[in-house]
Amino acid sequence: MDKSLSRFWTIIRSYKLSSHPNLTISLFLFVILTYLVLAPIISILSNSIRLTRMDAILSGGKFGDFTFKYIERVFFSPISENIFWTPLLNSFTVSFFATIIALILGLVLASLVTSTNILGRRYLSFLLIIPYMLPSQAIATAWITMFKNRKVSGPLGMLEALGIYPPDWLAYGPLPISICMALSYFPFAFLLFSNALNKIDIQLEEVATSLGAKTLTVWSKIIIPLLIPTTMSVLLLTVARTLGTFATPYILGTPAKYTLLSTSLYSSVRSNESGVVAVIAIVLSCIGIILLLVDISVVKKWQRFVTVGGKGIKRPPSKLGVFQIPTTIFAWIIFLIAAFGPFLVLALSTLMREPGNFALSNFDLAYWTGVNVPGMDQPGIFTSPEIIIALRNSFLIAGSAAIICGILGLIVGYAVVRLPGSLISAYLRQISFLPYLMPGLAFAAAFLSLFAVSRGPIPALYGSLSLLILVMVVTYLPYASRSGISAMMQVGQEPEEAGMVLGAGFWRRIFKILAPLQKSALVVAIILPFITGMKELSLVVMLVTPGTELLTTQSIRFLDFGYTQLANATILIIGVVVMISVLFLNRVTKTNLASGLGG
Amino acid sequence: MHEVKLNSITKSFGRNSLAVDNLSVTFSSGEFVCLLGPSGCGKTTTLRMIAGLENPDNGEIHYGDKIFFSSKNGESLKAEKRDLGLMFQSYALWPHMTVFKNIEFGLVMKKLSLKEKEIRYKEMEKLFHLEGLKNRYPSELSGGQQQRVALARMLAVKPSLLLLDEPLSNLDSNLRLEMRAELKRLHYSLGSTIIFVTHDQMEAMTLATSIAVMNKGIIEQIAKPMEIYRNPKSLFVAKFVGNPPMNIIQVKNGGEIIECLLKKTTFSKNEVKTFGIRPESIRIVTDGEGEIDAVLETIQPTGADWIVELVVSGKSIFAISSDQPKSDVGQKVRLSFKLDGLHVFDDQDLNLKLI
Repeated sequence: MDKSLSRFWTIIRSYKLSSHPNLTISLFLFVILTYLVLAPIISILSNSIRLTRMDAILSGGKFGDFTFKYIERVFFSPISENIFWTPLLNSFTVSFFATIIALILGLVLASLVTSTNILGRRYLSFLLIIPYMLPSQAIATAWITMFKNRKVSGPLGMLEALGIYPPDWLAYGPLPISICMALSYFPFAFLLFSNALNKIDIQLEEVATSLGAKTLTVWSKIIIPLLIPTTMSVLLLTVARTLGTFATPYILGTPAKYTLLSTSLYSSVRSNESGVVAVIAIVLSCIGIILLLVDISVVKKWQRFVTVGGKGIKRPPSKLGVFQIPTTIFAWIIFLIAAFGPFLVLALSTLMREPGNFALSNFDLAYWTGVNVPGMDQPGIFTSPEIIIALRNSFLIAGSAAIICGILGLIVGYAVVRLPGSLISAYLRQISFLPYLMPGLAFAAAFLSLFAVSRGPIPALYGSLSLLILVMVVTYLPYASRSGISAMMQVGQEPEEAGMVLGAGFWRRIFKILAPLQKSALVVAIILPFITGMKELSLVVMLVTPGTELLTTQSIRFLDFGYTQLANATILIIGVVVMISVLFLNRVTKTNLASGLGG
Repeated sequence: MHEVKLNSITKSFGRNSLAVDNLSVTFSSGEFVCLLGPSGCGKTTTLRMIAGLENPDNGEIHYGDKIFFSSKNGESLKAEKRDLGLMFQSYALWPHMTVFKNIEFGLVMKKLSLKEKEIRYKEMEKLFHLEGLKNRYPSELSGGQQQRVALARMLAVKPSLLLLDEPLSNLDSNLRLEMRAELKRLHYSLGSTIIFVTHDQMEAMTLATSIAVMNKGIIEQIAKPMEIYRNPKSLFVAKFVGNPPMNIIQVKNGGEIIECLLKKTTFSKNEVKTFGIRPESIRIVTDGEGEIDAVLETIQPTGADWIVELVVSGKSIFAISSDQPKSDVGQKVRLSFKLDGLHVFDDQDLNLKLI
């Protein structure tokens, strides 16, 4: 062992690392990524079969002993019905309906916007993506602000204030959860379908037309079949996303005691059952990994459907005739419900003293300034210490994570592209991709299990901002390194080699040649994770502690305490920050953001 | 079999880009017509308007006694009702359908019986050597096979007018030669009218029975291939057809060569703006003969002949010779010019020999 280790070091030393910067960088990444990605996974796997300290004391065993206790508790105990089987069934039910609705909405709207003369199609192609940019709890929070009934404390729901009593099934549980999830995820389907429709070589359709096919035949025989791979992708990815969503089931399910796997995992974390947490997180990950691996293989298998691009002529919009007005109304209503509606409801609720009273005198900024609010023991939104701290934390965490992620992504790209075919390049590619397969909630649980205590030289990071930054960096790394790899591929090796031939050293090449070429790629690589980080909830909700709350988690806390207005205002703040970032991104890249928002 | 008649066709995209400018032309029945021109000259747009994939802003398109389009009474026959064959550069085979399904599609649209479809497929299979490919997907075919399937799909419905958009551009040079022969054979045996678009003058020369050279939305000249080559109507046509291209010499740049060429024609110096001379009409001759001195600059053997770069009065021109040049690079040679490859253009860039 010692011998081989020293041989390893001799090899490393004989390489003279300083003269092999590519290799040095790769080894550095190798160590960091292995620890940040693999260690949490190993830690949670071991947690699922080893006795916790608490249980060791209770049952008289030894801490760390091998045990089936947690697996048994989750799958076969009297409480497994409550903590696992029912939530599992509920998760699948909700995911099924949410996915079907999202898929249909996405497909219909994408077809209308890309291929017909529906009114305002250019605006719709942007506006319909907005729900995707909202934090995931925005729609759910708006829903509860609207439909809440007396079952839950806090201010009245808007409808009830207007004298309509919303029944429980409309206010909480599977129906609203499915609808809200569908409304937050349909833009993803819309994006994928729009891209696919725009990519279909229009000559494929023209040949069919010249052979005598009418528009409807062209759609049913050519276009729709060509969309099958996209449809499969949308199905699998949306199911994977809905399974890992936390906010919607937490807000809309908890009042009705309707538990999903994600919320069940969360309550196990809250009750400190780390063994149970590990088992549920592993199940959740397995489902996620299976879904995404199936997606990857489907995409590969249907590669033959990807056609040689034509001349890039756009499909001329089909005339809808009498259907033009109804379809236009339909598309704009979806926009109003999914994007504009939540904003309006959230904003109104913070401006109205009493919900549901539309008299002008009822509108003021009381909740924002915190002056003269009857029955509220909290300062106003502008002065709330919680919001200020959360705002600072959000910027700090999402900002640092984004910068680290953007730079790391380019470095991974550099290492992977410059050491092609080597084992280490393949390893880096794979390991930086791994977090993509795990639902954020499960990955957070793994992180929690690793960093809850100090291990060797690495301190217990739980309760610190750096833990939140780290978990974001690792989770967003798949996207960052994917774009880093493609950015490096695009530049190719030639500019750098030209510099090398002319005698430029490594650092000079990096700063004089590569960095200027990658400037805009870097800006995008930083802003995208920043946006995702600002609206991140499921990943951080079980890692925050008082003092490290983010805007997203703070809004959940406010809701827990019944401070609806504060919660809604917090979400509005996130929305505004995200919108500004998106606009800035559009300015920088001068393209539609649509293609970039893969996260 | 009918003729295709375009009458004052105008088409623009956006405000400032006129794609086709008041085009009137008739393609006779049974011809193999080539629309030849650089990219953006309006050739593809013209083809797409005949196919019905675009509508002209103005003008009329007739096919025999059928009106395809007329801006006068706002008539426009839908593309799916024009009954013509269409083939693209990318072949546009449907990737989700097998070879059989691809070819069958047009027959299904025509509502042919099962038996008839089978017969037609067998016919195409034999004609295009598609035996054993019936259940393959396009991605499992070679480039040449894809091309043949695309041809079969187009011809299965027996259209009398075929429209081909750069049909050979995607093929490598060997396969291209083969497919050119195939298309030529096909035209001969089917006798249908074929209109095809290309930017490759070689393809146009070898395939077409009639070439329409297009530039900036108008047809500069329409004639038989050799006529286009021998008697180009305009400087543009002269420059576009021929490889290596015609040597162009501006009169205003002057020099000994101008005087030498002027002497061979009946025109005076102020009538002529530009001389054009085909490379094969420049002959390198032994000392004592010839009309002018030149220096041999480079020699490029192509295998079949030699392309020779010569400098005359400070200007470099290219000659093509079927014999190996006897002189070496850097040596002085004498040149003579054959009259049939010499063209003179006026200040409108029109060929004075033809006016």
